[in-house]
Amino acid sequence: MPTLELSGVSSGYEGRPVLHDITLEAQESAIYVVLGPNGAGKTTLFRTIAGILEPYSGKVLFDGEDLTRSKEARRRVNYLSHFNAIPEEMTVRGALDFYAKIEGGSVDDVISLLNLEELKDKKVSDLSQGQKKRVSIAKVFLRERDLYLLDEPTSNLDPAVSKEIRDILLRLSKDRIVFYSSHNLYEARDIGTNLILVRDGTIGFFDKISNIKSKEYRVGIRTTTDISKIIDATPGEGGYYVLSVSKPEEAGFALRKLVENGVLVTEMRQLDNPLQDLFDDIYDEGTAVKKEKRRVEERE
Amino acid sequence: MSSDLGAVIAKRSISLSKTYPVIGIFMALFAALISSLSGVIGNLSSTGIPAGASGTSPLNLTTALPLVSVGLQVLAAVIFSMPVLQLYVYDKNNGVLEYFLSLGMNQGDIFRQYLKAALLLASGLVGLETVVNVAAGLIAGVGAPALLGVSGLVVALAIPVVSSEAQIMMSFSSLQKQRVGSNQPLGMAFGVFMVIPAYIIPLVFPSLALTIDLLLASAIAVLSLTLYLSSSRLISREKLLP
Repeated sequence: MPTLELSGVSSGYEGRPVLHDITLEAQESAIYVVLGPNGAGKTTLFRTIAGILEPYSGKVLFDGEDLTRSKEARRRVNYLSHFNAIPEEMTVRGALDFYAKIEGGSVDDVISLLNLEELKDKKVSDLSQGQKKRVSIAKVFLRERDLYLLDEPTSNLDPAVSKEIRDILLRLSKDRIVFYSSHNLYEARDIGTNLILVRDGTIGFFDKISNIKSKEYRVGIRTTTDISKIIDATPGEGGYYVLSVSKPEEAGFALRKLVENGVLVTEMRQLDNPLQDLFDDIYDEGTAVKKEKRRVEERE
Repeated sequence: MSSDLGAVIAKRSISLSKTYPVIGIFMALFAALISSLSGVIGNLSSTGIPAGASGTSPLNLTTALPLVSVGLQVLAAVIFSMPVLQLYVYDKNNGVLEYFLSLGMNQGDIFRQYLKAALLLASGLVGLETVVNVAAGLIAGVGAPALLGVSGLVVALAIPVVSSEAQIMMSFSSLQKQRVGSNQPLGMAFGVFMVIPAYIIPLVFPSLALTIDLLLASAIAVLSLTLYLSSSRLISREKLLP
């Protein structure tokens, strides 16, 4: 079972730290969703783990090997950045061949995996942003690695391809560590096992997503009849009847009551994402801290 | 890391920009023409027309022209290898260099592959120049020792000049805080600066030209080697990021 360990890591650009004294340990094979507002330090975190940036202090260890110093350890890692990193003057197949010559792997396999058959003879520069992203992701899967660092892998992708990518990652995460950054909190909740929230270059939160509880459960119920007289639900957003409950079990009781009254329930879903509450809390707290710091600095 | 990455980079460079290679080849052919003119002038002087046009000039065109053509041939090699440096900046901005780093290469490995590509292209053109020079020289009646001397001098100067210029430009590209797009003009300026003595010396010190050119080639080779040995320190990893 691979283990990733960051201890007291500070890292950044041109001597200016972006990450401050980060310590975390990923001990289980799973998908670790990394969330944070723009500029929080997610990309810097990924680059530092990938060994691209040398930390100013602290260590990044993968199975005990220093990822900054050991080329062998870095070869067990793959990093997908915001930039497609695909030679645009080449064809799709040519570009993948280019990387396959460097790192090995089967081009035909990734072409098939990412459904690139129709695009394989096209020049990369002629592709749409979403298609380029698919090619960029394909290069990541040329060879299997033990640690994947994927910085917003599904941005620019259509829902069908996004789902395919998530399915591949879910499969890979059974015996590998996958770090996955996203701005989509619903996607994060669906795919992630663990959540790492980055705020101002520090880890604001790190725990299992299943441990995150909503402050309030609002359940949307879609039915063919008016249910406001049967349960305490009011017509609300998106054509749903909205039921507010204090814990998830109460939604089950409400559903049973509706069924007993002969109501046909066509859909029932949680309207609020617990990650949103957490994200808002931590971000608001960070903003408040920053405001206070600025206020103190101005006074001084 | 693939051992032929440098060759792949060289091929990519040519496919990315064809203007510089075409100019480089044109200059190489022009240089061969100038060099072979010395044979024609030599033949003319042996048939009654003196090599110094007025007869009073100390300049001996039969020896000066081949040496002047050396500078042109070196500059042609610099221009011919320029697409590698364009590709370096292009790959840096496109995240390709960052991806190389993530694959386990370090900045020195990457730097050396692009340098290798520039030298491969320069060597290719120098090879072509040698063939064209020898063929044109033999047709024009230039002596074999002169042809060998010129070809040797082109190799001795072109490889260190291209190597130094490529390293200076890649370092500059990586050391810039803001991308101001001045890499190509700067690279050309360095290339021209290093070659200028090769144009002037044969005209000013014709008898010492070969010796001075060889000394110049040695000095540039030392500069190139120094840059090569300090390449990993010249560029930090973060400077390869887009």
